[in-house]
Amino acid sequence: MEQQSLLDLLYVAAFFLGGLGFAVGPFIIALLLAPRSTRNTQQKTAQLIECGMEPIGDAWIRFGVVYYLYALMFLAFAVDILYLFPVALVYNRVFAIRDFIEIVIFVGILALAVVYAWNKGVFQWERKTYSHR
Amino acid sequence: MGTQNLQPPVVQFAQLDKLLALGRANSLWPMTFGLACCAIEMMATGASRFDLARFGAEVFRPSPRQCDVMIVAGTISKKMAPAVETLYDQMPEPKWVIAMGNCAISGGPFVFDGQYGIVEGADKLFPVDVFIPGCPPRPEALIEGILELEEKVTGSRRFPRVEVA
Repeated sequence: MEQQSLLDLLYVAAFFLGGLGFAVGPFIIALLLAPRSTRNTQQKTAQLIECGMEPIGDAWIRFGVVYYLYALMFLAFAVDILYLFPVALVYNRVFAIRDFIEIVIFVGILALAVVYAWNKGVFQWERKTYSHR
Repeated sequence: MGTQNLQPPVVQFAQLDKLLALGRANSLWPMTFGLACCAIEMMATGASRFDLARFGAEVFRPSPRQCDVMIVAGTISKKMAPAVETLYDQMPEPKWVIAMGNCAISGGPFVFDGQYGIVEGADKLFPVDVFIPGCPPRPEALIEGILELEEKVTGSRRFPRVEVA
């Protein structure tokens, strides 16, 4: 038994190392086999890629957070639906009215999250931050 | 300004280099980059009728970081030259350049005494590996150029040469 679990652990370690090798190996191979510099004419090798033009501003700009909040709200609905599936399976197996009341309580509590967000104005599509330029 | 000195890779074996050259030559990734009418012929070459995919060079990449070969397809105006040079700089080694059409070779029909708008040939900007004559060259000519480049990379030609009757 002891030996079996050790063997299992070794399998896990082997697969972990294999996966790590697949992920990191190509980087190391490329590092060793690729030429260490590139020929250039203007010394613009490290410039941000903007189809050859001079880039305007930085790549690290701040995006509006509106969609992020909206996606969070989606989670409330998604969890709602997810937990209704098992309920649908066992519904009316014993006593339908009790099941109904439990669903109403559950959905009601989850709906509070939506009501909260609604009050906070998440569903109004307004830009809340602006890029610093 | 720039440099044409190339620092060689850490690991170098002759046989391995041959193998790498074979792989590179058979999967050249050109840049999605057209300057003038030659680019129309380049697009035709990549499309289904002439089908550059048969020769492994159909993966036109939109980023110079992923490209092996820059096909300078068209007239390089002096205003466009800095952009072209920047793209050349941003390509990682190993990289090759194909000058496609008369404009990219020498300025083509735009060369006259006192002209002020045209760079007279891509080789004025950076070294060019293969020149493809024509105004514009036919897609078959571009394919031949790619094959010539493959021959330059590996040292041997993969397809039979077309005899002129």
